[in-house]
Amino acid sequence: MDASLKLWTVIVVVGALNYASRLSFIAIFARREVPPLLARAFRYVPAAMLTALVLPMVVAAPGAATSPDVPRIVAAIAAFGAAFVTHSTLKTLGVGMMTLWIAQAVAKGIG
Amino acid sequence: MRRFASDPDFRAGFAEMLPACVGLVPFGLVCGVGAAAAGASALAALGLSAIVFSGAAQILAVELLAAGAPVAVVVLTCFVAGLRFVIYSAAMAPYLRALSPRWQKGLAFLLTDQAFAASVRRFDAGGDAHAGSLHFAGGGFALWSMWQLTNIAGYLMGNVIPASWSLDFAVPLCFIALVAPHLRTVPTIAAALCAGVAVLALGGLPMRLNLIAAGVLGIVAGTFADLARERWTPR
Repeated sequence: MDASLKLWTVIVVVGALNYASRLSFIAIFARREVPPLLARAFRYVPAAMLTALVLPMVVAAPGAATSPDVPRIVAAIAAFGAAFVTHSTLKTLGVGMMTLWIAQAVAKGIG
Repeated sequence: MRRFASDPDFRAGFAEMLPACVGLVPFGLVCGVGAAAAGASALAALGLSAIVFSGAAQILAVELLAAGAPVAVVVLTCFVAGLRFVIYSAAMAPYLRALSPRWQKGLAFLLTDQAFAASVRRFDAGGDAHAGSLHFAGGGFALWSMWQLTNIAGYLMGNVIPASWSLDFAVPLCFIALVAPHLRTVPTIAAALCAGVAVLALGGLPMRLNLIAAGVLGIVAGTFADLARERWTPR
C-alpha cells in the first residue's frame, strides 16, 4: 500500500474509532446498564494506559543510544511530585523542563 | 458560531482553558514535527490533528507508520490507547443526559483528557446542564483550535527548535500532569505500577505491542486490587 494511502486510512479509521470511544456512553450506550465488572475495570484504564504511554518516553530519549537516561528520570520524578501536589499542567511542565535542563547540564559536567 | 461567541458560559469555558492550552503548545509542536518527519503531506498532517484530535494517538500513529508497521497494528494500538475516552464518556454521560442528541454528538467530539478534567470540576460544582455543556464546548473549542495551530506550526517549522532543548519531553510531562493526581488509592497505584513495570519489561516486543499488553495487565491488576480491597475490608 502506498504511504499516503496508508496514512489516510489510519486517519479515517482511528478518527472514527476515537470518536466512537468518545461517543460511547454519551450516546450509544446511554440507556444501557454497564456490567458491574466492566464498570470497575474502566476506572483503571486512565492510570494504566497513561503510565504505559509515559514510562518509555521517560527512560530513554527518542532514538537515543544511551538508556536509561538519568536526567529524564530525575526530571520525571520531580514533575510527578509537582503534578501530585499542584494538579497544574503548567507547573508540571515548568518543574519538569527546568529539572531536565539542570540535570542535563550536571550530567554533561560529570561526563 | 456568533451565537456561541456571545454566550457567557461558552466564553468562560474558552477563557478558563487558555492556561491548559499554553501547556499543550510544546506537545502540539512535537506532534506536528513528528508528522513532518514521517513524510506526511501538509493536508494529511492537518487531517491527523483535526480528525484524530488526540496527541497520544497521533504520536503513536506516525511512529508506527515510520517503523513500517501494518495498518491493522497502528489502528489497534491507537484504539487501545484511546480507550480512556470511553471512561471519560461514561463519566460525562450523566451530566449530558438532558441535552439533545445532536448537541451530545457534537460535544463528544471535543472530549479530551484536558477538557474532561476541567469539565468534571465544573459540572460537580453544580449549575444547569445546558450552561455546563456550553462551558465544556468553549473549553473544547479552545483546545481544538490551539491544537490545530500548534500542529501546523510544528509541521512547518520542523526541526527549527534545537534538539538540545529536549522539547519532546513536554509530551510525557503533559501525561504525568494528568495521571499523578489520580494515584491516591491502592487499586489505581496497583494499575499504574503493574502497567509501568510491564511496559518496560516487555520493551522488546515489536511494534509497540508492549503498550497494549501493559495497559491490559495494568487494568486487570487495578480491578483485582479493587475487588480484593472490597472483599477484605471489614464491614
